[in-house]
Amino acid sequence: MSTPEKKDEHKIKLKFPGDSDYIPAVRKFIAEMLQSCNFSPKFAYRSEIIVDEVCNNAVMYGCKSSESTIELHFNIFSNRTEFIIKDPGGEHDDIERLRKVVEKRGEETALKQQSKKDKLGLEIVRMLSEEVDFQIDENNLTTVRVVRKKDDVEAAPQTG
Amino acid sequence: MESMRIEIWQTEETPNTTVLHVKNELDSSSVEKLNEVFAEVLEKYPRYVIADMSEVTLFSSAALGRFMGFKKRLVESKGDLVLAGLTLEIKSQLTSLGAFKIFRSFANVSAAVNAYKWEREGISQALTLSFPPELHFVPPVRQLVSRIAKQKGYSSRDSFRIETIVDEVCNNAVEHGDGEQRRDVDLFLGIDREKVEIKVVNTSNPSKVEVLKQLSKSISKTAMPDLQDKRGRGLALIKMLSNNLSIDFSENGTSVHVTRFRGD
Repeated sequence: MSTPEKKDEHKIKLKFPGDSDYIPAVRKFIAEMLQSCNFSPKFAYRSEIIVDEVCNNAVMYGCKSSESTIELHFNIFSNRTEFIIKDPGGEHDDIERLRKVVEKRGEETALKQQSKKDKLGLEIVRMLSEEVDFQIDENNLTTVRVVRKKDDVEAAPQTG
Repeated sequence: MESMRIEIWQTEETPNTTVLHVKNELDSSSVEKLNEVFAEVLEKYPRYVIADMSEVTLFSSAALGRFMGFKKRLVESKGDLVLAGLTLEIKSQLTSLGAFKIFRSFANVSAAVNAYKWEREGISQALTLSFPPELHFVPPVRQLVSRIAKQKGYSSRDSFRIETIVDEVCNNAVEHGDGEQRRDVDLFLGIDREKVEIKVVNTSNPSKVEVLKQLSKSISKTAMPDLQDKRGRGLALIKMLSNNLSIDFSENGTSVHVTRFRGD
C-alpha cells in the first residue's frame, strides 16, 4: 500500500466551550501540533502564547453565557501558521474596548497611553506575529486572525 | 478612600446562584454592612454565592473573618461561597493569609458560574475537532483529551485510559481511512462529572469495510478477543477500557462511539 504524500497545508478546526479550564490544554495542543509538523520548539512556544492570549480574551470578554463556544481554525503551512479565533461577543463595554484597540493599531503613542487592562494582552500578540486582524460583526461575533511566519522568527537575532 | 459598596445580583442564566458585586475597600468599618448583606442572602437568596471581587481594593482580615463565617453557614446548608475576579494584589494578600485553603477562586464570575453548573447541575460540555488523517497528529490529539479530562477533575488513571482510547480510535481512523479521499478525522468529546463520550468519524478504506464489519461483530459478541489474532486487538483494548463501544457504518463514514464512566 502506498502512503499518501504529506500535504504542505493542514487545516485543523477546534470548537470548545467558553470555559477557561480548556485553555491550558488547547495551547499545549497547538504547540504539539506545530512540533509534529517540524516547527521548532521556540516557534511552537511563541504560537502557544498567541493562542493563549487570544483565547483567554475570548473566554473573559466574549463568552457571557455558559453555553458559549469558541471556534479555533488553525492552518499550518510550510512557512507560516494562521489562527482564526471566533467568539460570540461580550458586553457593550468589552466590545468597545476591543474596537478601540483595533482602531488604534499602528498608533504607537495612542497604544502606549492605554492601560494594561485596555490593551487586552494584544500587544504581545502583535509582537509575536506578522499580521493581526479583527472583525466584529453586527451581532458582535468577534473574529481575530493572526498570522505568524516561520522564517522571520527562526532567523531572528538572539537577544539577552 | 472609598467605603465598601455591595450589591446582590441574580441572573436569568443562573437562577440558583447569587452574585455579590463587592466594590472598594473592605476595611473594619465594612463589617456591619457585610453582616447585614450576608443575613439578607441567607434569608432570601440561593445559597450558592459568587463574590465578584474585581473592584475590591482592600480586603482586611476583619472582613475576611466575616466571609469565612458566611461561607461556613452556607456550606452547612449545602451551599458555598466562592471568590471571583480577585486582583493580583488582593490575591497575593489572601495567599499569605492562607485564605485559599478555605475559598476557591475563579478568574471571573463567568468561570465561577461554569464551575457551579459543572459541579452542581451536572452539565455536559462538548469539544469537536477535525484534523487531517495523518498519524503524526494523533499524539497531540490524545494529549489534548487527556489534559482536558485531568483539568475537569478526572484522576491520572482515568485520564490515561481515556487517552489510550482516543489514541486507538484515532490511529485506526487514520490507518484504515480512505487514503484517496483524505477526509478529515472528526472527533467529538462530550464530558461531564460522570463520564466521557468519544465519537470518531472517518471514511473507511472501501477495501477494509467488510473486514471492519466482521471485527466489529466479533468484538461485540465476545468478552475477550483472541489474543493470537493480529487483527482487532486495538478494538479489543478499547472495549476493555470502555463501558460501551459501538461502531456504525454508513454512507457518511465509519463512526466509532465509546463511553467511559469515571473511576470505573
